[in-house]
Amino acid sequence: MELGFDVVVVGGGHAGIEAASASARLGCRTLLITPDLDRIGQMSCNPAIGGLAKGVVAREVDALGGVMGRATDASRIHFKMLNRSRGPAVWGPRAQCDRGLYARAVRRILDELPRLEILQGMVTGLRIEEGQVRGVITREGEVVAAGRVIVTTGTFLRGRIHRGARMGTVPAGRDGEAPSVELAEVLEELGLEMDRFKTGTPPRVDGRTVDFSRLERQDGEEGDFRFSGLVEERIPPQLPCWITWTGDGLKGLVQENLERSAIYGGALAGKGPRYCPSIEDKIVRFPDNPRHQVFLEPEGLHSRELYVNGLSTSLPPEVQRAFLRTIPGLERVRVTRLGYAIEYDYFPPHQLRHTLEVRGMEGLYFAGQINGTTGYEEAAGQGIVAGFNAALASQGREPFLLERDEAYLGVLVDDLVTKGVDEPYRLFTSRAEFRLLLRQDNAVERLGPKARDLGALGEREMSALEAGLAERAAVSLWLDESRFAPEEVNALLEEWGSTPISASLSGRELALRPEVKVEALGELCQDAPDLTGEAAMAVTVALRYGGYVQREKARAEKLRQEAEFRLGEDLPYREFETLSWEARVKLSKVRPAHLAQAGRIPGVSPSDLQNLILEVRRYRGSRVAKGSRV
Amino acid sequence: MEVDTIAAPATPPGRGALAVVRVSGPGALSVLRSVAPKVGGSAGDPSPTARMAVLAELKDPRDQRLLDRGLVTFFPGPASYTGEDLVEFSVHGSPLLVSMLMDALVWAGARRAEAGEFTRRAYLNGKLDLVRAEAVADLIDAESPAAHGVAVHQVEGGLSLRIARLRSRLVDLEALVMHHVDFPDEDDPPVPISDVVAVAQELEGELAELLASAPEGELLREGALVVLAGRPNAGKSSLYNALIGEERAIVTDEAGTTRDALEARVSLGGYPFRMVDTAGLRGEAVGVEKLGIEVAERYLERADVILLCFAAHRGWGEEEEIFLGRWSGRVPVIPVRTQIDRPEAGRDGARITDEVALSVRSGEGLGEVRERLSELVYAGLATSGIETPVLTRRRQRLAVEEARDRVGEFCRALGRGVPAEAAVLEVRDAEAALGDLVGGVTTEDVLDRVFRQFCIGK
Ligand SMILES: Cc1cc2nc3c(=O)[nH]c(=O)nc-3n(C[C@H](O)[C@H](O)[C@H](O)COP(=O)(O)OP(=O)(O)OC[C@H]3O[C@@H](n4cnc5c(N)ncnc54)[C@H](O)[C@@H]3O)c2cc1C
Ligand SMILES: Nc1nc2c(ncn2[C@@H]2O[C@H](COP(=O)(O)OP(=O)(O)O)[C@@H](O)[C@H]2O)c(=O)[nH]1
Repeated sequence: MELGFDVVVVGGGHAGIEAASASARLGCRTLLITPDLDRIGQMSCNPAIGGLAKGVVAREVDALGGVMGRATDASRIHFKMLNRSRGPAVWGPRAQCDRGLYARAVRRILDELPRLEILQGMVTGLRIEEGQVRGVITREGEVVAAGRVIVTTGTFLRGRIHRGARMGTVPAGRDGEAPSVELAEVLEELGLEMDRFKTGTPPRVDGRTVDFSRLERQDGEEGDFRFSGLVEERIPPQLPCWITWTGDGLKGLVQENLERSAIYGGALAGKGPRYCPSIEDKIVRFPDNPRHQVFLEPEGLHSRELYVNGLSTSLPPEVQRAFLRTIPGLERVRVTRLGYAIEYDYFPPHQLRHTLEVRGMEGLYFAGQINGTTGYEEAAGQGIVAGFNAALASQGREPFLLERDEAYLGVLVDDLVTKGVDEPYRLFTSRAEFRLLLRQDNAVERLGPKARDLGALGEREMSALEAGLAERAAVSLWLDESRFAPEEVNALLEEWGSTPISASLSGRELALRPEVKVEALGELCQDAPDLTGEAAMAVTVALRYGGYVQREKARAEKLRQEAEFRLGEDLPYREFETLSWEARVKLSKVRPAHLAQAGRIPGVSPSDLQNLILEVRRYRGSRVAKGSRV
Repeated sequence: MEVDTIAAPATPPGRGALAVVRVSGPGALSVLRSVAPKVGGSAGDPSPTARMAVLAELKDPRDQRLLDRGLVTFFPGPASYTGEDLVEFSVHGSPLLVSMLMDALVWAGARRAEAGEFTRRAYLNGKLDLVRAEAVADLIDAESPAAHGVAVHQVEGGLSLRIARLRSRLVDLEALVMHHVDFPDEDDPPVPISDVVAVAQELEGELAELLASAPEGELLREGALVVLAGRPNAGKSSLYNALIGEERAIVTDEAGTTRDALEARVSLGGYPFRMVDTAGLRGEAVGVEKLGIEVAERYLERADVILLCFAAHRGWGEEEEIFLGRWSGRVPVIPVRTQIDRPEAGRDGARITDEVALSVRSGEGLGEVRERLSELVYAGLATSGIETPVLTRRRQRLAVEEARDRVGEFCRALGRGVPAEAAVLEVRDAEAALGDLVGGVTTEDVLDRVFRQFCIGK
């Protein structure tokens, strides 16, 4: 009997999980196939979710009904809101998770989906008919028919891991797991452009051999912050993290042994991320920095293993052991898992459409690290976009696209397909031009309704969404309608160092002042809604950025107008001779969907855009004249 | 909108030792083959050696008549001035020959270029930024050594470079802010906001400094307007003639602007001026509120400097005093004691503050007037030197003004407690304003800086 599905997802990493869930939630018969079912949702590197920009993405994934937010809430053992000293638009929630609990939560959440099936297996081939992908073939030779295939194989494609320059190179997709070689070859044979990247991970150590008295203890935040705005999970007990510093001893050791590092000794060629440098990179690039911070982070509630954040390395085992022992508190430390560098194939993402479908290969989608990104959140975000789109296409519905002013996910996908990548891509606040609009506190408001309209939310999620939106509306209404007389509030205002008022003002007018505590205003009124929750925060934050939010909106509007000038896939850019040569080459490579996207391609200048408008009008005019369809 | 091939003489019309005719566009090579088959080779043959002048017989393709023997140089695109294939013919400088050659080129497939079209193509093909393209036009129009000098430096990219550097510093500033926002917990000590403000203020100062060059820079293109005022017979016309005559200035009578007065463009002390003669206004109701002072009134408001003439033998009177009182606050006024050669002049009258005494007859004092004019109007340029980039166009000034205002607003916003990630919108606007002059900024630029400057770990 041949197996048949609407959508098959290859790989049970963070991209694959979300892709499978998204597709199944839209009602497509979906199969998730991965070589080891016990490693679904495995965190390859640090068991931490979130951070600046990434934390917003995790919440966006959640608002679209995804898995990541809930799994994080159900497994987090240390939480911090990063950037609290900055404005709330750039706060980034970050959670340290229990590795095992995370994977278990993922499995539990996936098992809620009746349309989703899970199968253990390694995909080694694709079934292709008439230029369209029609299914996958497993190592056992089994053919799984499918209208749409989403490949999310992460770092596994021809992966090789390195510890040291000469010895210690092993083919692997992750420590202890086999790489995916056949699939890489099959994809390459399709004629897709392929390249290699690298990344690294630090050693883990045995917590029983750490002298905690020499470390600085860092407790997480209290309170029950939740990534998920749609489903309430139970948050586990919390653990502290620990801080220490590298010093001269480590620096000397690394410098002496630089040649023995896989990266500096020349064993590894692929490009690595600048923002996630190995300890070798840090010592070489910033030789004057006397010390580098090291975070020791718990790997789980019931594990004494600690993740040594900040010391990613590809040095040989004995050097890793030696340099760890130069660090205060780690003088007698025992290593449980060695750090390593890994290199792998990726497919430059300019070959994709905004739906993450491979251009010229109908039915094939890529999501996650295979597209040259790095990070769980980036992978998850792409997974959801690919999952929705594969499902929508198989149902003959319109694609699901997010613009840059709607979500970090919109920024992520647009950056990938428009600009391509020349190093592993990670999201930053600075990548978003509308960062005041794309906040963690309003993710549900921004994306929840879209998920609802797609039909991607269950009943429980729908009612949570409606409740959340209603709460926000209530806060907003109350701010408008409440009035405060000088004698009511002046004492409070004085206490906050705010100028007293002489005539009565509305709650909204008072809330505009950054020093005013809105929940205290609420206590003065009988009928005030709950002003301590996220709803009140989201409303007042938007208020306080005031004119700046308006300015971003105006810009976004302008961009939308440009986005209305569609370009289509068929334009003969090379014949548009009024455009600069570079612009013609780049445009034919990227094939932007609209003018706004064209303007973001490096090498396309404003004057190119002007001429492009004229050329396109002329081209379409001549096509219409010839009676062909444009 | 196919790109066609254009041709035009590159040297001014008229007789000269040499004339240069240029052809640019995809058909440049085929045009060359038509008029100089020996050099161009036939289709299929290899093209002529790039960027090497070759002596060739130039023939009219219609009848193979020899037009001239000249130097032909082929510049293949994109490494040419326009970025397209370009051919330069250097021939003898006869207007007739040039027009016959042009006819031949047009017959061979070229189109007569419109004014500025070569530079326009260079700009469109990304060979020049807008500032440099404008400077090319300025260079061609320059009538004074200073205007020429400034234009040359701008074509070379002097101003572009300065603006590009300022823009680049704005990108650095944004990177600093974004580092402050994006990497607060990194092992590099976080950037204190006071550092950000200090950098911003310094930039605001430099933008203001560049902006300060704009009034003179714009005058440099236009010529500073000198208006002569004085009672009848004070010697205005004589002084006008003396100043323009010696410089052999071109006296124009441009329609519309100076129908009623003669305006002459003249270079004094190396700097460009426009002088207005009041002669044409006689008989019209000139004179400011019956003061008896004659002046081209409609020019007064726009004057960059006024020469207030009074005859030495008549002396400085109440009228002059009132006129000076009324105008000196708004426009620099130089009192000019004229006709000091006359026997009845009397050398003993009290000197007026900052006066210049002169005689057009003897020539005494004329040099001083010229010097005083250029000192007064172009003081900044004179001290900074013409290599210093200056803003010569309104568009440039508005852009730099916008950038300065945005950076200023950024500092004020931070001062008011606006969070950096919001206030940084101002810096982006400032970058965009300068980017309009010299090309855009992408977020990659910002990230690049972030990574280059700071030690970022995970
Ligand atoms: C050593 C290392 C260090 C890292 N360091 C960082 C870091 O410092 N910072 C950071 O942000 N991110 C880091 N990451 C990246 C982060 O782990 C990934 O970006 C993220 O997990 C990618 O998710 P994914 O779903 O694309 O792929 P993965 O999580 O890698 O999942 C891929 C899945 O596909 C399966 N698979 C592979 N081949 C096949 C096949 N042929 N058939 C079926 N299934 C298959 C695998 O078994 C796996 O389940 C690191 C990753 C590694 C390996
Ligand atoms: N000796 C002498 N006569 C002068 C001089 N300048 C002007 N004049 C004479 O003064 C008279 C008035 O000069 P004009 O330039 O017409 O004065 P305007 O009415 O102010 O324009 C004319 O007769 C001139 O020849 C000068 O420098 N020396």
